[in-house]
Formats: sequence, structure tokens, C-alpha cells
Amino acid sequence: MFNTILSQYKATLTVFLVLLVIVGLEVLQVRAAIYPSLLPAFEWLKNSTPLGYIGTTYGSIYATVQAMHLLAMGTLGGLVLTTDLRLLGVMFRSTPSEVISNGTHKAFKVALIVAVLTGIFCAAGVADKVYYMPVFWVKMLALTAGAAFVFLVKQPLLNSKPHSEINPWIIRGMAITSILVWFTVAASGRWIGFS
Amino acid sequence: MSDDKKIGDKELAAISVSVILFGGLVFHWVAELISTLDLLELAYGTVKLFNNPLVF
Repeated sequence: MFNTILSQYKATLTVFLVLLVIVGLEVLQVRAAIYPSLLPAFEWLKNSTPLGYIGTTYGSIYATVQAMHLLAMGTLGGLVLTTDLRLLGVMFRSTPSEVISNGTHKAFKVALIVAVLTGIFCAAGVADKVYYMPVFWVKMLALTAGAAFVFLVKQPLLNSKPHSEINPWIIRGMAITSILVWFTVAASGRWIGFS
Repeated sequence: MSDDKKIGDKELAAISVSVILFGGLVFHWVAELISTLDLLELAYGTVKLFNNPLVF
């Protein structure tokens, strides 16, 4: 009986196990204990790496890479909205959602890699500043959650069967959550720029 | 798409993650809104929505 449930609901049980681990780590204040030990890594990134040196010395290079970061984030946002609004049935209704979600996912992976790589460079130049910003950590958390959601939950489900065979409320729920996660990534990113 | 499709493991996992993430993010943004309103109230005494708080 237990083995049957375990094999039938492997993914769901994993989700609740991960949630339990996160709650456990928060209750034990592991995050608060790790946080101070991260400061030397951020100081090293700014003061002792070529990334930090270039980021603090050459404004033109920093601006160029930041422009690439913004373009990659804009592309990510566009791809997310295209996929999720199609899944919600708001736009591109004449094109099958399978075609759109598969097509955008390939470009999504490239845009995410560019955004992360240019983001590391942008953060290196101001590493000792962003370390103290709660909104920077919100962005990192939202980015991690968003990427995990896309690669471990959303895309595997959308690729597993024709979308017409998936409960539409699950597809709508995933699309709305996806939009909110990536909105949070974009908004907290701009908040870092404002701070 | 019909509303009475059987919910399998992947669907259940997807809707669980969606609900947890959605709830967490809504909580985050509501908390940000409340703290912003508190800061405005602290700075200007009262917050009048639809009025510019910088104008007394």
C-alpha cells in the first residue's frame, strides 16, 4: 500500500519533502547562520576578481554588459508572457500551445544563461552593496524558484502529454504562477537598480 | 480542453507547487505594500491614497 502510493505519487511526495526541508531549515535558522559567512565571498568577488575589477573600473564595459543583462531579462519576460498568455488562452489561439511552449522553451534556456552570466558580472561590481540588500536576495530566490519551476515542474508536465489531456485549471494555475514569479524577478531587479 | 480530466502525479505536483509559490509571492507583495504604507505614514503622518503625500 505504502509502496504503491510512493511509486504513484513520486513527484508530489518530492514536492512536499522539499517544502518540509525548507521549513525545517527556516525553523532551525540555518539561513540566518549561513548569511554572515557569505560576506567574504562577496568581498572577494568585488575586490579580488577580474570581474569586480572591470566592473568598478570601466564604466563603458559595465554599461554594455548591463544592457545585455536587461535585454536578456526582457527576452525572458517576453518568452514567459508569450507562453503563459497562450496557456491562458489570451493570445495566439490559432497556434497550438504545444508548438508555442516548445518553441519558446528553447529560446528561454539561452536567455536564462545570458541573464545569469551577465548578472554575475553586474553583481560583482557592486557585490559589497547588494549583499546587504534584502531585495537582491528576493530576486535570487525568485530566480531560483522560477527556474526550478520551469525546468522541474512546468515543462515536464507540458511535454508529458497533449495539453488537451491536462486539466485546464492546472494549466491556468501554472501560467498565472509563472507570470507572478517572473514579474517578481523583474520588479526586484529594478528595485536593486533603484536602491 | 475538458474540466474533468483525471489528475495524475505530475499534475498534482504542478498544482501543489503553483499554489505554494503563488501564496508565497502574494504574501511577499502584500507585506511590501503594508511596509511601504507604514513608512509613508511614519514620514508624513497620514497616508491619503489618490493624494500626493509629498504635498501637505
